[in-house]
Amino acid sequence: MTVYETDVPGVGKKFEVEIGGGERLVLLLHHDGKREVFYKPDSESDAERLFTLNGQLAREVGAILQGAYFQPVETDEVEVPLGEAIIEWLDVSEGSPLVDQTLAEAGVRKQTGASIIAIQRGSDTVPNPGPEETIGAGDILVTLGTRDEQSAVESLVTPDDG
Amino acid sequence: MAELLLELGIAVAAIAVAGAVAGRLGLSVIPAYIVAGVLLGPAQPLARFGVPLPVVAYGEVVQLLAELGIVFLLFFLGLEFSVDQLLRDRRKITTVGLIDFAVNFGIGAAIGLAFGWTLLETVFLAGLVYISSSAIVTKSLIETGWIANDESGPILGTLVFEDILIAVYLALLAAVANGGSLREAGVSVGVAFLFLGGLTVAAWYGSGWFERLFTTSSDELFVLRVVGLTTLVAGAALALGVSEAVAAFFLGTGLSQTSHVERIEHLVSPARDLFAAVFFFAIGLSTDVTLLAGVAGLLAVAVVATTLGKLVSGTLSGRVYGLDRRRSLRVGLGLVPRGEFSLVIVALATGVGTGRLGSVLPAFAVGYVLVMSVVGSLLVGRADSITDAVAAVRG
Repeated sequence: MTVYETDVPGVGKKFEVEIGGGERLVLLLHHDGKREVFYKPDSESDAERLFTLNGQLAREVGAILQGAYFQPVETDEVEVPLGEAIIEWLDVSEGSPLVDQTLAEAGVRKQTGASIIAIQRGSDTVPNPGPEETIGAGDILVTLGTRDEQSAVESLVTPDDG
Repeated sequence: MAELLLELGIAVAAIAVAGAVAGRLGLSVIPAYIVAGVLLGPAQPLARFGVPLPVVAYGEVVQLLAELGIVFLLFFLGLEFSVDQLLRDRRKITTVGLIDFAVNFGIGAAIGLAFGWTLLETVFLAGLVYISSSAIVTKSLIETGWIANDESGPILGTLVFEDILIAVYLALLAAVANGGSLREAGVSVGVAFLFLGGLTVAAWYGSGWFERLFTTSSDELFVLRVVGLTTLVAGAALALGVSEAVAAFFLGTGLSQTSHVERIEHLVSPARDLFAAVFFFAIGLSTDVTLLAGVAGLLAVAVVATTLGKLVSGTLSGRVYGLDRRRSLRVGLGLVPRGEFSLVIVALATGVGTGRLGSVLPAFAVGYVLVMSVVGSLLVGRADSITDAVAAVRG
């Protein structure tokens, strides 16, 4: 890909980008942040103005094109199929009080209301673990519950002195 | 004080109205500001038709702001001057620049001599009709979208060459115009080149110093430093009899090597726009429009000849860049508008004030810029039908 750069006195900079097959995009960056984008189907044709963006918009569009853009979605607006409940992944560290306890002993659901729906152990996953399953250090608990229940689980799993 | 403040208020308000009208009509603001100046000027052209307008005197306040307009127009010209681009394309730019200069300065000189003007008056006239308006030309390039086409190459190249040429021309002319005898003129040319040479060296080798001088997080302090230094350098230049505009130009090129360019563009260009608008308005104010009738013949000849001149030089320049016939003609059409730099030249002439320089030339310049800025916009707007017509004539 070849990019041609030209100064436009009093305006800003112009970039011409070859996009294959003789087609070119011409980008005009104004000093005030405005960007104009032109398209040339071939070297003989006149350029056609595609769109104009202000600086802020141009940066966002550019980031989307770059693939680096991620806009966190407002959780309030999301329709969760589980109703109020969400799924979370919790690391069980070595100092966690739940280490070496069975699920029955830990009584997570009784204390918090959230259910442990799976345990990830290394590359294995224990789906729908039974009450006799023992929690080990390094496990990842996959829990289902509301936001409040989830934070209760989190404080249960976290080492007391942490 | 109340009187001065009121007068300035009337002036700036009139400029604002003129700018809005020009925007509505799709015309460049430069002729609109001039017309506003003419209408409110001491000559009161509308008074005889029973239209009472407030009169703005061509007083010290307006003159000072107008002077700042010249300084900042040239400062930004220097700031935006692309040395890299000039060096990268130097062969083509020099070729099209010389074609442009030979044809259009030549036509101006021929007109001056044919009308029996003195050598100095002719040189002023030739410079005035030679130089295109960067402001109007680049604006119409963007509006038409030509900026993205190949014809923008020779057009911008020509403007770059004109920028340097106008700096040298103004420096020489200001020095020569100041001195009376040949010896005095020689001395003032020497002073000019010492000052500007020193400034250029300082600007190029002192970019590290500039870099530090303008490093501040406060926008307010930044603007103060830029405006302060520019005005100080321009004032010092003028005190030594050197063109203040050219001094500002060189200061601008020095700053163009620093990382502050974008910030200056952003923060100082509003000041430039305000001062420049007052400058165009002041040109209108200071013009005695009754003299226009006397220069009508000259004006008609100059308009026709120099429009054709730019079409010819532009078309040749397009060929230098290897463009086809249609795009080459567009280069010529695009370069027709004359504007701010013609008026900077005439401001210098008014300062000299002898012979035709003080009266006839300013009236001519105002008429010429009014016509050429409008004709230029119209030609660019109708470029496609013009190129079709030319193609049809050629079969």
